[in-house]
Amino acid sequence: MSRFEIYSPEGLRADGRRWNELRHIKCGINTHSKSADGSAVVEMGASKVVCIVQGPQEPETRSRVREKATLSVSVTVAPFSTTERSKHVTNDRRLQEMSANLQNLFEEAVLTHLHPRTEIVCSLTVIAQDGGLLSCCINAMTLALIDAGLPMYEYVSACSVALFDQTPLLDPNNVEETELASVTVGIVGETDKISLLILERRLGLDRLPPALELGVEGCKVLRQVMDKEVRRHGAMRLASRAE
Amino acid sequence: MSSIEQAFVQSLLEDQKRVSGRRLNEARKLELAFGGSYGHVEVKMGRTRLVAQVSSQVAKPRDDRPFEGLFLITTDVSSMASPRFENGRQTVDELMVTRLIEKAIRRSNALDLESLCIVAGQSCWMVRADVHYLEYDGGFIDASCIAVIAALLHFRRPDTSIDGSRTIVHTLDERPPVPLSVLHVPICVSWSFFDNDIIVVDADEAEQDLRIGSMTITINKDRDICQFTKAGKIPLSSQQIIECCEQAHGRAREITDLIHEKLKQDFEKRNRGNMGFDLAENDR
Amino acid sequence: MLVKRASAQSVNHKVFVRSTKAGNAVKVYREQYLRDDIPCGSQLCTLCAEISVPDAKGDFPVPVLSSAPNSTTKRGPHYVVIDTNVALKAIDLLEHPGCLYDVIVPQIVLEEVRNRSLPIYARLRALTAGHDKRFYVFHNEFRSETHVERTPGESINDRNDRAIRRVAKWYSEHLAKVKKAPQVLLLTNDKKNLELAHKDGINASTLHSYIAEYKDSGDLLDIIPAEESFTKESQTQIYPNYYSSSQILAGIKNGFLHQGKLQISRYNYLEASVHTEAYPKPLLVIGRESMNRAFDGDKVVLEILPKSKWRSPLNNIADEENVDANIAAENDDGQAIVTDEERSILAKDALNAQHHEKVQPTARVVGIMKRNWRFYVGQVAPESVNDKIDSGALRSVFFVPLDKRIPRIRIRSRKPQALVDQRIVVAIDDWPVYSRSPQGHFVRALGEIESKSAETEAILLEHDIEYRPFPKAALDCLPQEGHDWKPGMNDPLFEKRRDLRDLLICSIDPPRCQDIDDALHARELPNGNYQVGVHIADVTHFVKASTPLDAEGALRGTSTYLVDKRIDMLPTLLGTDLCSLRPDVERYAFSVLWELDQNANIVSVEFTKSLIRSRYAFEYEEAQARIDDASQQDDLTKGMRALLKLSKKLKQKRLDAGALNLSSPEVKVMTDSETSDPSSVELKNVVDTMSLVEEFMLLANITVARKIYDAYPQTAMLRRHAAPPATNFDILNDQLRLRGQPQIDLESSKTLADSLDRIQDPNDPYFNTLVRIMATRCMMAAEYFAAGNFAQPEFRHYGLASEIYTHFTSPIRRYADIVAHRQLAGAIGYESLHASHYMKNKLDGICDNINMRHRNAQLAGRASIEYYVGQMLKDNESLQEGYVIRVFSNGFGVLVPRFGLESVVYLQDICNPDEAELDEDTYTLKIMQDGKSRSITVFDTIKVFVKSVKDNKGKRQVKMLLG
Repeated sequence: MSRFEIYSPEGLRADGRRWNELRHIKCGINTHSKSADGSAVVEMGASKVVCIVQGPQEPETRSRVREKATLSVSVTVAPFSTTERSKHVTNDRRLQEMSANLQNLFEEAVLTHLHPRTEIVCSLTVIAQDGGLLSCCINAMTLALIDAGLPMYEYVSACSVALFDQTPLLDPNNVEETELASVTVGIVGETDKISLLILERRLGLDRLPPALELGVEGCKVLRQVMDKEVRRHGAMRLASRAE
Repeated sequence: MSSIEQAFVQSLLEDQKRVSGRRLNEARKLELAFGGSYGHVEVKMGRTRLVAQVSSQVAKPRDDRPFEGLFLITTDVSSMASPRFENGRQTVDELMVTRLIEKAIRRSNALDLESLCIVAGQSCWMVRADVHYLEYDGGFIDASCIAVIAALLHFRRPDTSIDGSRTIVHTLDERPPVPLSVLHVPICVSWSFFDNDIIVVDADEAEQDLRIGSMTITINKDRDICQFTKAGKIPLSSQQIIECCEQAHGRAREITDLIHEKLKQDFEKRNRGNMGFDLAENDR
Repeated sequence: MLVKRASAQSVNHKVFVRSTKAGNAVKVYREQYLRDDIPCGSQLCTLCAEISVPDAKGDFPVPVLSSAPNSTTKRGPHYVVIDTNVALKAIDLLEHPGCLYDVIVPQIVLEEVRNRSLPIYARLRALTAGHDKRFYVFHNEFRSETHVERTPGESINDRNDRAIRRVAKWYSEHLAKVKKAPQVLLLTNDKKNLELAHKDGINASTLHSYIAEYKDSGDLLDIIPAEESFTKESQTQIYPNYYSSSQILAGIKNGFLHQGKLQISRYNYLEASVHTEAYPKPLLVIGRESMNRAFDGDKVVLEILPKSKWRSPLNNIADEENVDANIAAENDDGQAIVTDEERSILAKDALNAQHHEKVQPTARVVGIMKRNWRFYVGQVAPESVNDKIDSGALRSVFFVPLDKRIPRIRIRSRKPQALVDQRIVVAIDDWPVYSRSPQGHFVRALGEIESKSAETEAILLEHDIEYRPFPKAALDCLPQEGHDWKPGMNDPLFEKRRDLRDLLICSIDPPRCQDIDDALHARELPNGNYQVGVHIADVTHFVKASTPLDAEGALRGTSTYLVDKRIDMLPTLLGTDLCSLRPDVERYAFSVLWELDQNANIVSVEFTKSLIRSRYAFEYEEAQARIDDASQQDDLTKGMRALLKLSKKLKQKRLDAGALNLSSPEVKVMTDSETSDPSSVELKNVVDTMSLVEEFMLLANITVARKIYDAYPQTAMLRRHAAPPATNFDILNDQLRLRGQPQIDLESSKTLADSLDRIQDPNDPYFNTLVRIMATRCMMAAEYFAAGNFAQPEFRHYGLASEIYTHFTSPIRRYADIVAHRQLAGAIGYESLHASHYMKNKLDGICDNINMRHRNAQLAGRASIEYYVGQMLKDNESLQEGYVIRVFSNGFGVLVPRFGLESVVYLQDICNPDEAELDEDTYTLKIMQDGKSRSITVFDTIKVFVKSVKDNKGKRQVKMLLG
């Protein structure tokens, strides 16, 4: 059982945040410029994901030659990413499912038809886990794809929302995720329309709308944060070219 | 599927029509039949046909969960169902089917694992649900979920009793077997997305080949969403999402009632004939 | 803007090392966000009003700390900051309306309390939720000014104490800016903390000296535990290990260890007794440590304690749930096994116990030969569940069994909240030495608490009654023809049956009886004597020995009758159809035919299997009416009149021989026919025809007993009722003497019956019945036995004053009768007897089982009535007359004849228990009520309020209060 109150009557969460607060977000773009075409690191609180993008390039297998560019996504979890070092790191199915979800989501945002008969390889590495794993991956992938110079309709941003009774809690950490049911919401661009919605624990239907609303707002803020980082990085590059 | 066929299906859909003659938000009719042994169910949805069999045995509980029994779901997609499947190799789509059923039923705690404990840390019941696909015409997720949950409801495991510090497992003749503790009945409803923002419920094989994406909602009669998977393709407003959930809830109610109705019929049938069933409890 | 971002500057990194379940140490990293928008909660403060932010619903926090806070005689207006120990130990005082308003509870205190005791945490949270005592939780850990880092080498306790001091300091500085600022006072009983606080210039005081500042502090000080109990305890007392099996074997052989069955008192869970061969009096086992993890009914090995520790039985009542409610289920390990509350119960009692004349040897459990563990029914203790919604994470909660003698069981569940309102079944896994409570796991839920189906199933499970449907193997033994079975089908022995279809046989039973197992007839013989026949359903024709059906019947032992349900021993096909002697159908019977003279003396007797046709199935009152109706002159009615006449003679003869007329407070619950909800309770009334049937059944049983004993002197299935030992009546006789009543004479059953008749109270007609009820409890229980186990004089049935007795007349619902039927059939040469019924060890096993089943069925029946009476009382609280039947030092037992209810009145509910005094010599309890002294003695008539209340654990109990 949790040692702390998950959400106190005074409106504070176990880590001192209020219901509508994101954790601190740190993102970096073009972090691994030598090893990849595009790269990014996203930290949401204590969760940290590195994404590396290669491509568009010639597909390794014939089956991936299509009229549109093929997105291949793989997720690896570092064994030291959790509190207790896990022995069976390859929790295959869960990660494979996550990869498939990422791939489906980004096919919507990336203009894949501009690069027929190519493959875009995205490798995500989870460095640290403290809740919001999927959203962290999505955000990192967006930045890395932008860094790789791939044409996209808009930013893809995601965050999760946990529900404490009727109160939605934005961007839950690991403690909150184990105690409460949570949904991950992802949007493409600055819109109220939800592109990705993943829920894996039982949740009353009537408690869903407030969570969706807060999740969408959270995504919009994340989009701004990412946009700022992209513009900062862009300005820096422009500046260096000007020299 | 040939391009001309694809174009035909797509153009029909754009006219709000389907090859099967169904409306876009109309699911296929469900047929459910229980077999001779406990926990054997055959489900038919259109031409999709599959069988689920639940079985139990005494096993050792997991070290980190000494107070719980074990529950396994296996799905067997073989080339018997359709030439598109290869024996022994799982594609990503098949993996997603397995994961979804797992999330819909196992992770939503439909089966009360705590009630499967016999002696904590030493012995427990291991319940297995095996799903075999006999014929494929789309809608595997929805059909398998119904089959597994119906099989769980139908299944009876041997009774156990305690004598001092010893546990006895009774044979079916010695004591009537007992039902599993099923906490709720999750039902999956899947939608398929097509180009031009077309959304269709319960797609068949041809439609599934053409679709660009899908969404699956698992919900029970008590309005608990057990699982929701939607990754990309057509963006939906939260209002649309709630509408889909309401639709799924309506279907869940229908199917749950159907399962219970069929169960009742089956047990009535079993108890007729020779006095196969005699309650010890009677009104005074 | 809806969403905010926490800034990177506000992140505080918390790193600590924690041990895992597997025993590994892991480093845990947690983020913590420090903030400036946590208000101080004072109405005086204007600064904090500006920084407050609304919650998800848009509501702003309301400052609770008053602008005119409480003050004491010595102190002006002030706010109070409490520390963890004050909250844990003095929660009663914090809840008291007489003191301690405007209290600041630092977050760290709340967290520590939560980890130490969930129930106290819940009470503290309730205080902060209600606004009348003005408690405010200040999240010191999140406010940047009050957050403290643990310094290297500092213990976690010291850091927390420092954090609390920082809160006090911050408050006094923060409030200094407002006008008429109240003082801020830190309450702590920790010496070191107090010293450091003074050094820091913080206003601090101990709880005791602070409370002493109040005007009427006397009463308040009584509520606080002694100052010593505040010192941080590091007691990790555990249960002693059991002796090794070789030690036990040697000990038993040498006679310094003893074994027996542990029986825990129904009145006090801390007391148990064990009957051993070595000691005439039972050995007492008192307290948790001595019981050493033994359960009621366990076969235990005992070691006698030194004589200095011998004592009399406890004379107070205690329920575990009332005593130990504040223990947290989560961190149970290594806690003191004897809580302060328990210690005080035992200590109070020990004072007078030593010098009392009724000293008994005491012992402690050193080993367990055989556990008596079974499935237990009960509920989750709601106060041990803390989540509002189940999160799916594993939680420890306490399970409170229905049976008060069973300790609370710690179970682990992922859905405790869902279980709170449920009647649940739990199995025990283990009781390790380091755990205060046994550990178990959830098995299944029976349904909502108080729902009829769940409570009925609970009663059946608790009394180990087999209520499941009959197994297939047993059902396969029934006749293939089912309900279409006709006499003579597939019956090679049909020839041996006598055709008695022409006799005018009828049955007389209670209303709505479906399983008719006896029928009677009488006709006058030409010689003036009567031929009387008792015809018993021939169950053994269908239930052949050593078949699965027989095994099932033997296991069930008896049918069980609840208020609205009957749990059958045999499948209904037999019970209500093929065996039931229904009117106008031909049925197989086992008949006893006597020739009786005019004075009901037996001239001759004959036993035979027969084929009969009953002419009519009467209800008692219907039969009575028919007999009384002089216009009825048919042969059937004449026969019944003869039966009635003869039965009266038989009864008189029996009473002359000294048969007892004992009493139990039996009532009948009337249920609404539509809803089957209980509508009223009636005492059972008696008509002559009841005793008509009874007399002939007794006669048949006695006659059959003689016959089968002749045929099988070693293994005849008989029933005996031993004479009660005189000592059983010592207390009752003593009480009668004090009342000026004649003594009960135990010379013989005759003298006992006569002396009971003499006990009368002219002012109270019920007094005689009351004494009979109490006398019944002093009697021995009747039991089944195989004839070879006792010498013939000991066969005697004391209550019926018969030399020999068995059960023969109800084979549908008692297994003993089935055995008697088979033995009788063997004795008259109808059918050879199956081996299991003439092998003594087999028969002993059968007897043990049916004795136990018989007792359980009776208890279950009573529990069912109790449940219905409780449901009926739910809406009608009433003032009733009751009788005191037992006194304890902290309460007394009352019997209310109107409902046949017995319950305990606890002194704590009616007066101050400390002022009460128990005089054990006169069985008198002196209490002070509303300033008047009042004495309560056994046999007193008192007015009591009877109501059925749901206690705070959701368990419905009948509660009585002095009227």
